[in-house]
Amino acid sequence: MSANPQDMSRREGAFEREPARRVFATELRECRYQFKDGVDEKSPTFVLLPTGERSNRIFIVGTLTEKTRQGEQNIFYRGRVVDPTGTFFVMAGSYQPEAMQQLAKIETPAFVAVIGKPSLYQKPDGSFMNSVRVESITVVDKDTRDLWVLDAAKQTLDRIDAFNAGTAPDVVKAKEQYPAIDPAVFRRAAYDALAQIKM
Amino acid sequence: MDYSEAAERISRKFSKSGKTIDVKKIEGKLRRLVDEFGVQPQEAERSVTNEFNKEFNIPAAGSGAGSKGGSGNGLKKIAEGVPGDWVTIEGKVVALSAPASPSIAQSGIIADESGAIRFVAWAKSNAPPMAEGSWYHIESAVVDEFKGIPNLKIHSGTTVKEISEDRSLIPTPVPIKDLHPGIAGVRAKMIQEWDASHERMLQSGLLGDETGTIKFVIWKEPGREKLVVGAVYTIFYAQVDEFNGRLSLNLNTATIMQEEGDIPVSSGETAIRGSIVHIAPGSGIIKRCPVEGCNRALSRQNYCPIHEIQPKFVYDLRIKGWLDDGEKTHNILLQRDVVESLTGITLDAAKEIAENNPLGMDEVFLQMRDRVLGRYVICNGREIDGRMLVNTCERLKFETSDHAALLNRAGGAS
Repeated sequence: MSANPQDMSRREGAFEREPARRVFATELRECRYQFKDGVDEKSPTFVLLPTGERSNRIFIVGTLTEKTRQGEQNIFYRGRVVDPTGTFFVMAGSYQPEAMQQLAKIETPAFVAVIGKPSLYQKPDGSFMNSVRVESITVVDKDTRDLWVLDAAKQTLDRIDAFNAGTAPDVVKAKEQYPAIDPAVFRRAAYDALAQIKM
Repeated sequence: MDYSEAAERISRKFSKSGKTIDVKKIEGKLRRLVDEFGVQPQEAERSVTNEFNKEFNIPAAGSGAGSKGGSGNGLKKIAEGVPGDWVTIEGKVVALSAPASPSIAQSGIIADESGAIRFVAWAKSNAPPMAEGSWYHIESAVVDEFKGIPNLKIHSGTTVKEISEDRSLIPTPVPIKDLHPGIAGVRAKMIQEWDASHERMLQSGLLGDETGTIKFVIWKEPGREKLVVGAVYTIFYAQVDEFNGRLSLNLNTATIMQEEGDIPVSSGETAIRGSIVHIAPGSGIIKRCPVEGCNRALSRQNYCPIHEIQPKFVYDLRIKGWLDDGEKTHNILLQRDVVESLTGITLDAAKEIAENNPLGMDEVFLQMRDRVLGRYVICNGREIDGRMLVNTCERLKFETSDHAALLNRAGGAS
């Protein structure tokens, strides 16, 4: 497939969709650094994960525990999606009409799979707030949730291994941006998340 | 308007043959043509290229200013011809094809030990007609490029002489994955026959060897025969075309020999595990054009881009979407049987919904989306042109062994 270098060059410039990273809530919550790759208005925005990977899109599966409708003219929905390590704040507004309709229909609590874009806000008091702008949200079963925990744990561990190897540019950047964070805490979190799945 | 890109391109073309031209000079010429004379940018690029061709090559051929092969007969190997070169070659005409235009007297393929090239003899060149299987000495022909493929032009300044040579040429087949536009040979197995998409087409399908697969086409022409699925062929002097970044083999000029035995073929199949992160519009139940050999998806108004309104459409199921493994997102296309087994919605059930539900076909889309979006699956299929045509797609199951292994890995070093 793409192992063929000729193919690669032939398709150069073709559209590449940004992959959806698997990240636990506890790691996403620590993000403080957001950047744009390129100067174009349409260049993608990335949130830098503390384990040293850029993320323009994430895939999470958890329990939707709460949702609220807000706004008068510009209606939007907020929700809380809980994974074994913490909570994701998700939102869908009128710019994501499909996602908003999907979210509006779901009765809490429910296992949901969310594909969305992470974004970072700084509140007036200086603290940071991470939320996920939903592209799509669907109700799934527990099996899918468990598979996601495995997937997220595996990819978190992979990132930590790459972090410890310490050469990738995004890893270097993460070390600069998050000097106080030791990724070992995310290994611990992955272990705890895995341990919560009943054998 | 920016001319630097086109100028770069031209400069690169010439630097291949050892000529350096000031990019600024090229840009100036382009700008003048486009801005002052309203010439189309593409046309301007072409005419500037030709201008330099003339500037460099005619004196090089005439006054001996050329640096290559000054002494001797100046013979070149066919494989060494680079677009823009004036060359003298000796080769064997291995194929002749019907001229595509009255201004062409003859076209075909000429080969020597080093390789083969397409040639075109202009009607105005008054070159003697060449015969397939004979050897010729061709002096002062020009190599240029037509549709990305090197081409030998025999024009009025070219002399063509038949020579008595009777060497047999044995070209070496090229692995399919290493093919590039031009003339080449392969040793491959015919693995699929496709519906002819054009009335002038005799056959199209897929050839494969150990390294990959490639589409082939044979156009209707006297003496051309179809290939047989499952047979192995040695094919010489086929034309490798490139269209939209995809290669295909045109076998009309080729010498085709069927072989005994079998060769292993790369299935081209890959397996990807991941989650389905997007279902694209146009998924679900769709209507297709009923015209024989068309099968295009119709718009909501039952409109086919070729055959216009088709009220007697045929229903079909498909899912277009993105499968994401966390590292890369793959464009996937699921056809009817795969969609049915993945979603549990059969074509008949989908028809029933489409015709009776107030939301119609949209309802099928929504139901399918809710059943597959965000789910973990493993897809087996073949990747063509950046899109995976999925042969099987199954939901992943939770494996306790994976779970245990990850627990060990996460706990191990903490």
